Amino acid sequence: MFTFIVRRLLQTIPVLIGVTILTFGMMRLIPGDPAQIMAGESASPEQIELTRERLGLNDPLPVQYMDYVTGIVTGDLGTSVRNGRPVSGEIAPRLRPTIELAFYSTLLSVLIGVTAGVIAAVRRGKLSDSLIMLFALFGLSMPNFWLGLMLIQYFAIGFDVGGINTGWFLASGWGTWQQMVLPVITLGTAGAAIIARMTRSSMLEVIDQDYIRTARAKGVKERVVVYRHALKNALIPVVTVVGLQFGALLGGAVLTETVFAINGLGRLMVDSINARDFPIVQSGVLVFAFLFVLVNIIVDILYGFLNKRIDLN
Amino acid sequence: MKSMKKSFLFLVMLVATLLVFAACGTDTEEDQDPVDDENGEETTEEATEEAQEGGELVIANLSDAVALNPHGSNDTPSSNVAYNIYEALVVQDEDMEVQPGLAHDWEMVEDTLWEFHLEEGVTFHDGSEFNAEVVEANINRILDDAVASPRAFLYDMITDVIVVDDYTVQFETEYSFAPLPAHLAHNGGGMISQELIEEDYAAMDDGEEPGSVINESPVGTGPFEFDYWNSGDEIRLVRNEDYWGDNAYLDSIVFRVVPEDGTRIADIETGQAHIGDPLSPSDVSRIENTEGIHVNETPSVSLSYIGFNAQKEPFDDPQVRQAISMAINKDAIIEDLYGGAGVPAIGPLAPEVFGYDENVSGLEYDVDQARELLADAGYEDGFETTIWTNDSRERIDAATVVQDELADLGIDVEIEIVEWGAYLENTAAGEHDMFVLGWSTVTGDADYGMYPLFHSDNFGEPGNRTFLENEELDALLEEGRQNPDPEERQEIYSEAQEILVEEAPMLYIHHQEFLLAVSDEVQGLWQHPTGILMLDDVYLDQ
Repeated sequence: MFTFIVRRLLQTIPVLIGVTILTFGMMRLIPGDPAQIMAGESASPEQIELTRERLGLNDPLPVQYMDYVTGIVTGDLGTSVRNGRPVSGEIAPRLRPTIELAFYSTLLSVLIGVTAGVIAAVRRGKLSDSLIMLFALFGLSMPNFWLGLMLIQYFAIGFDVGGINTGWFLASGWGTWQQMVLPVITLGTAGAAIIARMTRSSMLEVIDQDYIRTARAKGVKERVVVYRHALKNALIPVVTVVGLQFGALLGGAVLTETVFAINGLGRLMVDSINARDFPIVQSGVLVFAFLFVLVNIIVDILYGFLNKRIDLN
Repeated sequence: MKSMKKSFLFLVMLVATLLVFAACGTDTEEDQDPVDDENGEETTEEATEEAQEGGELVIANLSDAVALNPHGSNDTPSSNVAYNIYEALVVQDEDMEVQPGLAHDWEMVEDTLWEFHLEEGVTFHDGSEFNAEVVEANINRILDDAVASPRAFLYDMITDVIVVDDYTVQFETEYSFAPLPAHLAHNGGGMISQELIEEDYAAMDDGEEPGSVINESPVGTGPFEFDYWNSGDEIRLVRNEDYWGDNAYLDSIVFRVVPEDGTRIADIETGQAHIGDPLSPSDVSRIENTEGIHVNETPSVSLSYIGFNAQKEPFDDPQVRQAISMAINKDAIIEDLYGGAGVPAIGPLAPEVFGYDENVSGLEYDVDQARELLADAGYEDGFETTIWTNDSRERIDAATVVQDELADLGIDVEIEIVEWGAYLENTAAGEHDMFVLGWSTVTGDADYGMYPLFHSDNFGEPGNRTFLENEELDALLEEGRQNPDPEERQEIYSEAQEILVEEAPMLYIHHQEFLLAVSDEVQGLWQHPTGILMLDDVYLDQ
């Protein structure tokens, strides 16, 4: 196990190097001069030139790239082009809200998704199955910013039902549970829908297998058959989806963070791309890539727990 | 047990599904509701009771400040915060007239020499004293090439700052420059503590970015002191108890970043914020139908326009530019796109700007004459062209209206949405045909509203993205910035406006109105024509 983790971590290095080259290249290929954006619409050409010089934008690209990589290795990520602050100081405080948001949303989608998927599979063809799948289709098709705005309208601003106001939660910020409920639901809904569909189809496949029939024939209780024998095996593809989902949520949190005014990494990235804030974008993408790889390593380890036949080495 | 769990789950899903439908339902109802515009004008002035001291004012802003440094960034969110921390030598009132600030008197002693008499007994938040030396240090810093201040252009006509005595300072200018007081009233003229300036220079010697120290701990003389800045989230200011003028009423102000239009409104409705800045025109009717919140409208000194590339065919022909200017119904654009928030523009200057002449008549909306002009220019069958815009909803909509209306003249317009950075770069390089952009005359003086935009020395980045070249206009604009006599200046700018109507380098669309969503608890608020919220006299009526 230990060697597996070490090996997988080592394998991330080439991936991350690739990421640095790609982001570095892409940020420079798109038009738009950070010096121009920084100096503003009414800056003189001399000021823009001075700004370019100060930011090192006049150096040849390979030199700029090497500066960047040396910086990463020595822990110096440089300073933001936009406000002159250290990049690490801009990224670090925003990591927590984004990771928390992604984590709770994943948790919510797993809880709802797996439960709903199992019920749908066990009651295949019945009304409850159809309802769950209909609901899942809704969850998948709803744009999440729209869902967010609706939740704000009904559960932050609220309305009166029989003397009770439903404005239980807050529309913006991150920290207290009143602030966290709505964004987590907003971001978790689509994931719940995907996981429900995945669990259902995976369960249906497993339930038809011989060993399940054998278990039933042996007189094992239906509940044990479903949860011990069937679900455990059915979960393997689901875990894969959850892992990918978590990664997608990290990135997909941008809209949710914007709607709910959460000061997270996703929003920082979008703002920084617009301002051509190269140092922040480069480091931010790297952080995302690293988190994504990390989550997938965890998923691989989970495989081993779910099915002893999967050999990690 | 099992079935109970299941039924609970179903209940949850059922409720959720119903809500989705309910949400759709209410939305359409709201749309059908005839909007009662008259009702929205609830007066806020009715409460003439005693102003209450105390409380924290929360302002939900579209974006975060970039720098809390008057010499730093040029954006409105930064200025809005900085204005409460720093003060300038003079200020501009609601009508953009220059009024005393840290200087109580000023005069032009010679054509190229201004003298300012400073307030005595003013101290900075760090306890240091405000005097003529501080003014010198500030102007020198903003003009220092090493600092590369984006606001240096406001003061680059100053060649020397002379400290006459502790409370008298003189500015020597390269040429006679009449609008100097208006420039000093700009946020860029906010006075920073001299000690802080020296610390910042020391940090620059250690390899830090210019302004890094000032941004971390801004120190001015203003009615509010800096408390903290949580980057991307919120900035908090607290009252300066030792303010040299009358103390502010509010204990503190929080500027929070809330990027989504609807969420800013929700924050006011739920009591999380008092002011939403800006309010989207499409949300005006919603606010007017909401109890406890009102809309605050302020005419601005800004201009929205569609520029032509006057160096490129067919826009190098003034007749073509005039024709297009006459073929577009500005009133419809203002009504449909900006919810009526604004006045149609006849030239580049808003009515609040010094130099504006109400007697200049613009090109009227007249499609038939537009067609004749096009025919005269040899384009009776129209032509193909492109219009650029950045990714802003209103600008894209404006481009779409233009595309639609020009189709009637046989002009085939393709809309290209260009990302902001690329947009600025490529329009500065003159690669465009037509483009949608805006300009804000932040000094409230015609010089700033015309010289960068239309003088042929300022092609590209400095502001002249239409690449208009007109010698007569150049001469007028030069004379206008140098002539010390206000009446003569007014005449010069009237003439310049006439020329700009004839030349039609841009289709002047409108002077926007700033819109705010404001909780009824907020009293004494007004917004400056440059977009800055004036918070000195604000109090909360709770």
